[in-house]
Amino acid sequence: MNRRKQPFLRAFLPFALLLILATACGQASGAPLAPPGGFAPLEIPIKTELTVAAASDLQFALSEIATLYEQDHGVAVTLVFGSTGQLAQHVENGAPYDLLAAADLATIDNLAQKGLLIAETVRLYARGYIVLAVNRQAGVQALSLEDLLSPQIRYVAIANPDHAPYGRAAMQALQAVRLWESLQAKLVMGENIRQTLQYVQSGDAQVGIVSRSIADVPEVTWTMIDEALYPPLDQAMAVLAASPQPEEAEAFSGFINSEPGRQILLRYGFILPVEADSHTSGNLAP
Amino acid sequence: MNITGWSPLAISVWVSLWAGLAALVLGTGLAWVLAKTHFRGNWLLEGLTLLALVLPPTVLGYYLLMIFGQQGLGPWLETWLNLRVVFAWPGAVLAASVAALPLVVQTVRISFAEISHEIEDAASVDGCNRWQLFVRINLPLAWRGIAAGGLLGFLRALGEFGATLMVAGNIPGRTRTLSMAVYDAVQTNDMALANQLVLLLTLLAFGGLFVVMRLNKVIARG
Repeated sequence: MNRRKQPFLRAFLPFALLLILATACGQASGAPLAPPGGFAPLEIPIKTELTVAAASDLQFALSEIATLYEQDHGVAVTLVFGSTGQLAQHVENGAPYDLLAAADLATIDNLAQKGLLIAETVRLYARGYIVLAVNRQAGVQALSLEDLLSPQIRYVAIANPDHAPYGRAAMQALQAVRLWESLQAKLVMGENIRQTLQYVQSGDAQVGIVSRSIADVPEVTWTMIDEALYPPLDQAMAVLAASPQPEEAEAFSGFINSEPGRQILLRYGFILPVEADSHTSGNLAP
Repeated sequence: MNITGWSPLAISVWVSLWAGLAALVLGTGLAWVLAKTHFRGNWLLEGLTLLALVLPPTVLGYYLLMIFGQQGLGPWLETWLNLRVVFAWPGAVLAASVAALPLVVQTVRISFAEISHEIEDAASVDGCNRWQLFVRINLPLAWRGIAAGGLLGFLRALGEFGATLMVAGNIPGRTRTLSMAVYDAVQTNDMALANQLVLLLTLLAFGGLFVVMRLNKVIARG
């Protein structure tokens, strides 16, 4: 009996060791989601946990706003980034989000009409812009859309226009200058605007069209694209009808549009809608 | 079970353990039926168990989303069983176990097929019924294959990405598994994190495969 069991145990040993090792590693470094300081939440009980689905152009700005909000209000904010179309699809399939911050207004209006978002909580919070981003190491010059025709440029990254508003804006701008057809062979499409930027950051695509709000990264230089070439990227957000804590979600939405939130949005190049523009009735506002 | 706030590694292990277990139980049963019984339409059952191996993960994900999502059983499951599948960890378990099933079935089936008929016939003569044959003869004799199958299923579940992304989403602290975290780290150009995660997954996969090969006696013991 013992002789038969021996090899089985011996065979499992390295695997078990690896698993233990991996768990230890995970706790030490590979766990970016664990709260800093290990067991801090036990000492300071966090009242609320909000899950916010946000368009990828908000990756930097909203992360900063959420951190600030967590510090000031003791609310844990989990951010889920993706293209607006993907996140809308998640919402239609019942994803457990509390607030959806889209990169356009149409998606929000559409979901509100279907009753999936609370219509009274729809708020405009920013207007975004697209820029032409160039990898610093790529050794190519691109200051205008026409420069993209240069034979030195092999790949141009844009977000997928089918479900990413910034991709759609990129397409519309290229169509406006009549380059959309001629650039087809060079286009590579990111799943969302953050991935599109990554293509340019890594240099796999020498240039790309990304949102102004994420363009301030060390690997990249950028130029604004003429606003007249694409419809304004007015971004709206709303609380989900299925959220178990609409008041808390609405409070965070209010914070994004409040002075501290706006300061951060401004820094990332967003233009803010004037208060009269945002059609919120504030039914749920605290 | 609320796993909110877990690290990607913890979520991965949790999800893969359940998925591997589910695939092992179901897969062992299916493997036994395929190896030891003969009936019309046998090929259809075999084809269905292998389907997940050749279908694009997006197709699997789509099916699962349609079956368990808001247009399918989702509202019913939530009302009657208080179970949320889509965009929650049970969805990740579901996707991973479907992906793991064919590997388990194939591995276990081979070890069932290797059991000689003479032993089974002898047991039958001694009065074993089919169930006793399965529990007392087949299971003990095929344990290496079953262990290897379960481990392969666990490893496949650990690596599942496409269907999981569609069904469970990529929500930090809820459904973001290790493979999701790799995808995310690369997307956000966090190559240091990506390197760590990739190394970790590679070590886990290779360590697991080593054990599977030992179980299958591909690697002779020294």
